[in-house]
Amino acid sequence: MTTTPSISGTELTDPQTQALLLKLTVLADDEIILAHRNGEWTGHAPILEEDIALANIAQDELGHAGLYLSLAQTLGGSDPDQVAFWRGPDDYRNTRLVELPKGDWAFTMVRQFLYDTAEALWLEAATRSTYAPLAEIAAKAVREEKFHVQHTALWVERLALGTPESERRTQAALTELWPHAAQLFQPVKGEDELTAAGILPDLTAVHARWTDLVTRHLVDKSGLTLPDAPTTQPGRDTHTEHLAPLLEEMQSVARQHPDAEVW
Amino acid sequence: MTQPQSSSPDTQWPRWEVFKQDAPGRPHQAVGSVHAGDPPHALLTARNVFVRRPAAVSLWCVREDDILTATPEELTTNPALLDSPGEPGTYHVGVKRTNKRSMTFVDLSGIVTADGPGDALRQAQSLHPDVLAWMVFPETAVVRTDEDPGTVASWFAPAKDKTYKQQQHYGVIGRHVGELKRAGLMPGRAASEEGA
Repeated sequence: MTTTPSISGTELTDPQTQALLLKLTVLADDEIILAHRNGEWTGHAPILEEDIALANIAQDELGHAGLYLSLAQTLGGSDPDQVAFWRGPDDYRNTRLVELPKGDWAFTMVRQFLYDTAEALWLEAATRSTYAPLAEIAAKAVREEKFHVQHTALWVERLALGTPESERRTQAALTELWPHAAQLFQPVKGEDELTAAGILPDLTAVHARWTDLVTRHLVDKSGLTLPDAPTTQPGRDTHTEHLAPLLEEMQSVARQHPDAEVW
Repeated sequence: MTQPQSSSPDTQWPRWEVFKQDAPGRPHQAVGSVHAGDPPHALLTARNVFVRRPAAVSLWCVREDDILTATPEELTTNPALLDSPGEPGTYHVGVKRTNKRSMTFVDLSGIVTADGPGDALRQAQSLHPDVLAWMVFPETAVVRTDEDPGTVASWFAPAKDKTYKQQQHYGVIGRHVGELKRAGLMPGRAASEEGA
């Protein structure tokens, strides 16, 4: 039994469609939550130029979430606004990495670097997806993500090699964040089959490239120390206590105006 | 922003003038400035501040300290500007021709070979006698984006895809304030107008 989406590309089976819907939601959730955390710096970043830069990056990440959720909608998923604003913490499938409070500037930049690098490598691989709609999205988003990586890599290096204070804060951020980062590479249910069909990138290969790239930048170039990562990770359905208050704030306008039609 | 501290030195990062090229073959234009700690930081920040949506193909940054500027009035009162010392070499010349724009850009008009910034300014004055201001800086002071297709794509192509929506594009949640006023539903001013 094969369903034929009304868009060009590989024809997806029902199980493939369900798995891809879940993957697109997972990807979008990470983008939405991280964008919100970055948005919390608006008006508070170290200097005006960085305030603008980080808000710009946050907008890009939200734009990527919009791409994923729009594709999900064509595959039978809900309206993107419904997905973003009407699900609670139990239904969000973001990693714990992105939901942790924004911390100081070093924490924000280290997290963004770990995330941007993973996203850029995944998107780069996804441009070769056999599923044309996904390949198109990836080609669009990867250009922005490569630029994000440059920006956050520059900051991490300068903070790590800056003053003793900035080095201490950067190392502390890495020590706290590193154990959570591997969760970005957890496959969703049914992902293996999509990878075998060439629809999704090989997550294991992306993870290996990521580890190599971030190790070179953080350790070799910036002189930081990688802590041990736990061998097992909680699932994406397990959240910290920080997600609920984040969603409460992020969704407050939508929930106060459930009938709003224009955003 | 840093906390104001009366007795501490100025901790502001250096200021860099940003030059943006909108399309191949167009002149680079001075569009504003950023504060940044070093050249790569200046370029990255300039991209985020000045290329968020409008199209661009190239960015240059030049430290404020490396730029010599003058208006005709300034040269009249301080002709010694034409003797400003510095290294001989290739200098970029920028001219500001008009104030009749919402943003008064300086266009880079070309290069000259000069003994130093003062000599470059003298040549700029001679080449472009009737302008509002001149700007010169050495080629060696320019930090520029790479011209390879990969860099151009990741730095500038996404900006072209982003549409800028005017404020009126966005709807109003609930009823517009004017509508409420006309209906006499706004407390205060609407009520007093009614009473008058």
